[in-house]
Amino acid sequence: MTDTATDGNLLVAEDVRKEFGGLIAVNNVSFTVPRGRVISLIGPNGAGKTTFFNMLTGVYKPTAGSITLLGEDVTGKPPHAITARGIGRTFQNIRLFQNMSAIENVMVGMHTRMKANLFNSIIRTPFVKREEAAARARALDLLQEVGLRRKAHEAAKNLPYGEQRKLEVARALATEPQLLLLDEPTAGMNPQESAEFTQFVGHHLRDERKLTVLMIEHDMRVVMGVSDRVSVLDYGEKIAEGSPREVQRNERVIEAYLGKAAVEDMKRQGLS
Amino acid sequence: MIFVGLLAVLLIKEATVSPSQFAQTTLIGLTNGAVYALIALGYTLVYGILELINFAHGDVFMLGGMFAITIGTHVFGLHHGQGPVTVLIVFATLILTMLACGSINATIEFIAYRPLRGAPRLAPLITAIGVSFIIQDVGLAWKGPNYVTAPDVFPHSNVFSVGGVDYQWNHLIVVIITVPVLLALLWLVQRTRQGKAMRATAQDKDAAAIMGINVNRTISFTFLIAGALAGAAGTLYSLWATTVRFDQGFQLGLIAFTAAVIGGIGNLPGAVLGAVTIGLIQSWNEGLPWHMPGSDWTQSLVFSILILILVFRPEGLLGEKTPEGG
Amino acid sequence: MGHTAEPVDLQGRLSARWHELPELQRTGVVIALELVLAGLLLFIDKALGFGVGAVVAVYWIYRLPPVPWRLAAQAVLVALFLALGPRSFGILLAAAFAVFWIPERRRSLVVPAVAIGAAIFYPFYQGHMFTIPVFGSWPDVATGVVMLVFVMMAIGLNIVVGYAGLLDLGYVAFYATGAYTAAFFTSQQFAGQKCPTPGVSVTNCTVAVVPRHKFDFGAIGLTPGTGGIHISVWLLLLLSGVITAVFGIVIGLPTLRLRGDYLAIVTLGFGEILPQIARNGDNLFGTGVNLTNGPNGITPLDSIGFGNRLSDATGGVLPSNFLTCCKASHFGHQIQSTDIFFWVAIVLLLITVFCSLRLQYSRLGRAWIAIREDETAAAAMGIPLMRTKTWAYASGAFFGGVAGAYYAVFRSATFPGDFFFNISVFILCMVILGGMGNIWGVIIGAAFLAYLNQEGLANTGSWLNTNLSANSFNLLVAGIFLALLLWLLVRAREQMMRYVLVGLIVVDLVLFVGLRIIHLPIDVPLYASGIYGLIILIVMLLRPEGLIPSRRRAAELHEGVHDEPLYDAVHAGAEA
Repeated sequence: MTDTATDGNLLVAEDVRKEFGGLIAVNNVSFTVPRGRVISLIGPNGAGKTTFFNMLTGVYKPTAGSITLLGEDVTGKPPHAITARGIGRTFQNIRLFQNMSAIENVMVGMHTRMKANLFNSIIRTPFVKREEAAARARALDLLQEVGLRRKAHEAAKNLPYGEQRKLEVARALATEPQLLLLDEPTAGMNPQESAEFTQFVGHHLRDERKLTVLMIEHDMRVVMGVSDRVSVLDYGEKIAEGSPREVQRNERVIEAYLGKAAVEDMKRQGLS
Repeated sequence: MIFVGLLAVLLIKEATVSPSQFAQTTLIGLTNGAVYALIALGYTLVYGILELINFAHGDVFMLGGMFAITIGTHVFGLHHGQGPVTVLIVFATLILTMLACGSINATIEFIAYRPLRGAPRLAPLITAIGVSFIIQDVGLAWKGPNYVTAPDVFPHSNVFSVGGVDYQWNHLIVVIITVPVLLALLWLVQRTRQGKAMRATAQDKDAAAIMGINVNRTISFTFLIAGALAGAAGTLYSLWATTVRFDQGFQLGLIAFTAAVIGGIGNLPGAVLGAVTIGLIQSWNEGLPWHMPGSDWTQSLVFSILILILVFRPEGLLGEKTPEGG
Repeated sequence: MGHTAEPVDLQGRLSARWHELPELQRTGVVIALELVLAGLLLFIDKALGFGVGAVVAVYWIYRLPPVPWRLAAQAVLVALFLALGPRSFGILLAAAFAVFWIPERRRSLVVPAVAIGAAIFYPFYQGHMFTIPVFGSWPDVATGVVMLVFVMMAIGLNIVVGYAGLLDLGYVAFYATGAYTAAFFTSQQFAGQKCPTPGVSVTNCTVAVVPRHKFDFGAIGLTPGTGGIHISVWLLLLLSGVITAVFGIVIGLPTLRLRGDYLAIVTLGFGEILPQIARNGDNLFGTGVNLTNGPNGITPLDSIGFGNRLSDATGGVLPSNFLTCCKASHFGHQIQSTDIFFWVAIVLLLITVFCSLRLQYSRLGRAWIAIREDETAAAAMGIPLMRTKTWAYASGAFFGGVAGAYYAVFRSATFPGDFFFNISVFILCMVILGGMGNIWGVIIGAAFLAYLNQEGLANTGSWLNTNLSANSFNLLVAGIFLALLLWLLVRAREQMMRYVLVGLIVVDLVLFVGLRIIHLPIDVPLYASGIYGLIILIVMLLRPEGLIPSRRRAAELHEGVHDEPLYDAVHAGAEA
């Protein structure tokens, strides 16, 4: 796993394309995710962001193009294989295991990193016992990290919305990812929660844990607050990429979000 | 695709070796297919709208057969050799049975499936199996464990007899009655408001509701039509095969379901195509004296085809209209 | 209830008046009515009357404050039965009461221990037990063996349906595979024939033909020189399980990626094809190969036993051959071979339960539940869907195979007539009734339904036919029931009570009306399938989580899961 071979990029997507019948959802998008950074993927609704995510995580097979993770080609591999290779994710609509407790949810996330199989689980070898105990301890630590340790044995569906989002992050962290994909993590959060979350991503995940984070986000405060780089998709194509500030001023981006009229307006007011 | 090719080769060989027997079995297969088509359409209609495999459907067909025999003989005094009044009686029996089976089917939906509308998808499926067993035993309690015979009123004389191939009237009658029923169904689905409501609900229940369609009523109506089709099939089958038994519904129902799947479940013309295909395959298997396993193995053959289709081409021959599975 | 000033309807008025009475009086009236009910039932069948009376008594005893009233009342009730009624019932009551006095924490250890103990000693006290109302005598030991076999199968299916959420409608295929594997390896099925005179064909042989293939590895009670493959039955059980598991993996590979309802149909298909192969296997696909001996089945199978060496080593406690064992007699009961089969079955069941519990709380068990709840999320968390589902399938198949093999050995035969689709549904009914996912519920549900199937339905039938003749007096009594029950229904506040009363009303109505239409005698076992279907329907509509639900499952069924299978997510339209 040499950084020189990958140019310091954790993930490289080249000319990735997804077609559904006649509809082109993602149109030859190339994308890199450098190690240790927080990258935001933004764009109007229907731009293809979640479809792109789904291709990165193996839920969809790209119609064309390649995806390389840590130097290894993972194009079209099934989701569990990609998770095993180091991508963890959360979902746009929370997909926790509602009727499992918080700690159980997190322990499911550890599935790939554990080794117990059918046979030694039945016999419960000392190895399995130790593994389970260690997993349980690690799960509690993860819950502690997101501030949910008190609710470890609460059923996921009984948690308030904000805490469910945190649990999803804890579960994703349990897969021990190198790259964490967050799909609209602050949807439905109030400004206070969003601010806390922004801090969490920048300070805790990136700086302390040294994780690489790729986020789909709509909340511009979050995006501008923590991103090292922002990429913009519109109608399945990448229309801009750069620092948050650069992207904010980009004409095409403004046009995509607000329409041509808005761009004209801004030009007339000399803001461009 | 290879399979189809192989089958075609075998069939051609058989056709050339004993053409009259081939033609004979083919024609019988078509009659089978007609009956299966009526049942298969019922499955496909319900699946299209609820994504539910209504296991009990075949048993409604069986009840229809029993009902037809009972009404025909006890109420109308149907028996062999009655002359032209037979036509009237058969017609009346057909209509009444269709009504009865339609109501039974709609009632089943109301009692057993509607309360489970919000439950995970497997719940109504399990319930349908329970209902299927209940109906089978209702048939058992009503008419006993043995075959019930219907009066043999369809004439057996030949429509035509060409080179050793006899096509008898009773087969033709089945087809003659089936075709208008199918056309009526087509007209209903394509051209009436109710039909449009059915198609809309099948595509997207929530959107249909927003558009002002009474989803519950539409679903009930679909079950009514499906039941009526099963009733028609039951009537025709009982008069053609002249025997009905309480456990036939399940077996024949599963064959018809396979037909619906072959054609592409949710797809109406597909169901008919699939039914004809299955009818032919069954007939060829049982009638032709070649290396086919024979009638002992019909069930297995049909199920194997079902499994192969579901595994390799779940959208069936003509593809599904609903957005799942393909 | 009853806030409006002037309740207009009759029920409303009665209800209001009722609630005006003080609590004690109301309780008194209800108890009195229930006792009258029991009394009336006495006229139909004494056992039923006393049974209902006992149930009423126990129910109200638990409303009393524990000490001293409850204890005293319990003691009185037990004494009553010990003195007057069937003594065994008194002992049972005493044991049941005692269990509930044990603090909750210890109870989870004591109850299974007591249950296992009770099961082990069953052959000894089976003959002395009281008559159960309606169901008659307690099941005999042979029925007990069958019950245990079916419980094993239900636990196996529970892993597939209850844990992993895969609807398997073809479980009978595994049962058949296990049974036939047993038959292949402990019988003369593959003996073949040849003439001892060299060079002479079988058809022209002038002397008796001898078997062509002989293989013996640890078989018991075998005459030397018998043809066919024979191996030790213990090895065989394991082998059957393994072969069935492999078979499960083989059919799982192409089919487990299908979504729920398609998988159900495909498993149904296999569940139909396999028995048909068994039935027609004497002429496999028209080729003349006799694999399964067709409709005649394969019989006899070798006996089971521990062999001479082990038997001598344990001084005869472990019999060398189950079928020729047993001269010992304890507690006034002559031990028979059926008893030995029963005890071995208990051991097999305990192993099955053990494995199932261990799996439930392991990494794999969590993965199964995750798949059941939300397949796509599970995959995203690193769970390999196909592999994990296949393990569930294989495990279920293993236990089904072992159960099937043991059953075949017990009956020393296997016939294709034993296997048909209804059995798959029957076992599914057990899992549903018991509570999908909860192993204790499944055990109870399975034992009860297996009992019904073997003896229960027949006994119920004969009870109905003798006690409910179209005697006008009985019908009158039935009519009074109805009135009383309706009266009580107005008052019943608890869910469970209401379920029971609704159930009683339904049964009563059915009998009342049915007896007018259907002519006794009714052959109840004939309608077994319909009854199981009815059970499925009622459970799914009223209490889909089953008798003893896994608390998780109850929530899922009432509130739904994220149902979209990964297969569909991958093939679905754009989700931009």
